Amino acid sequence: MNHAGELISAYLDGELAGSEVDQLFGHLASCGKCAAEIQELQSVRSAVRSLPVLELPPGLIPEADAELIPLHRNRGFLVGAAAAVVVVVIAIAAIFTPSAATISVEELNSRYGARASLDPAFGPAKVVAPYFSDVLE
Amino acid sequence: MTESVPFTWEEVARVYGRKIYNFAYRLTGNSDDASDLVQEVLLRVRKGLASYQPGSFEGWLWRITRNAFLDDVRRRNRRPTAPLPDEVDRWELASSPSADTEYSRISIGDDVQKALLGLPVEFREAVVLCDIVGLSYEEIAQAVAVPVGTVRSRIHRGRKLLRESLT
Repeated sequence: MNHAGELISAYLDGELAGSEVDQLFGHLASCGKCAAEIQELQSVRSAVRSLPVLELPPGLIPEADAELIPLHRNRGFLVGAAAAVVVVVIAIAAIFTPSAATISVEELNSRYGARASLDPAFGPAKVVAPYFSDVLE
Repeated sequence: MTESVPFTWEEVARVYGRKIYNFAYRLTGNSDDASDLVQEVLLRVRKGLASYQPGSFEGWLWRITRNAFLDDVRRRNRRPTAPLPDEVDRWELASSPSADTEYSRISIGDDVQKALLGLPVEFREAVVLCDIVGLSYEEIAQAVAVPVGTVRSRIHRGRKLLRESLT
């Protein structure tokens, strides 16, 4: 008696024509050996297909490594990082750069309760106040 | 002729690199040989794209890939044979963020990998092209340059041998 043979694997792979499927199932209905075989080969097929997909060793294909970070995202990241650096630099500069503001001795006294005195001959006092530039408008 | 080429070499490397590597790894069983094979395949692709004829790109690519593998097998057969590794190479684990998970996944596949390496080359490549690469019988037939009926037979016989090894 002929067994199903190669029809079994082809069936598992979806490679059988309709007439062959009918032939296979007609045989399976009366052949316990082939019915068992289809189960066993299904397990083998699943085991091979379940092998883990391995990642490329880093650096083997630089073109494929680049794919991990899409180019547009990469560029966006760099632009964003550069912008952030610029903002930080400006902020630091704003904080630590001495700001010169002109304020009269009287105003200084009234705002901060200070007792400043200066020779009026030199005109309004010029106060260098690096940490209070916001209030010295 | 150039306008009929569907991919640049860089695109082939980017799109198919990992697939070629997995094909190579499952046929050779270790990352060093698989890496060498990937580089050889991409070299051949780079040279071959210039004379690529319109047709099945996948068939063309996998024909190059399996030919590179077979050339490597023939070269090895001319040299003193190295024993098959006792266990699959685990270079991946060092760079994996979830090494424990990866280890268990690869360990589970160790016996299957060993069984694959025990298959005759023509059965092994048919099974790997079908179950790892995911080609149809027709595509495998093109890649291996044999009739579809032969592909069907090799896959079936390969799986039966795997079943014997795994039970």
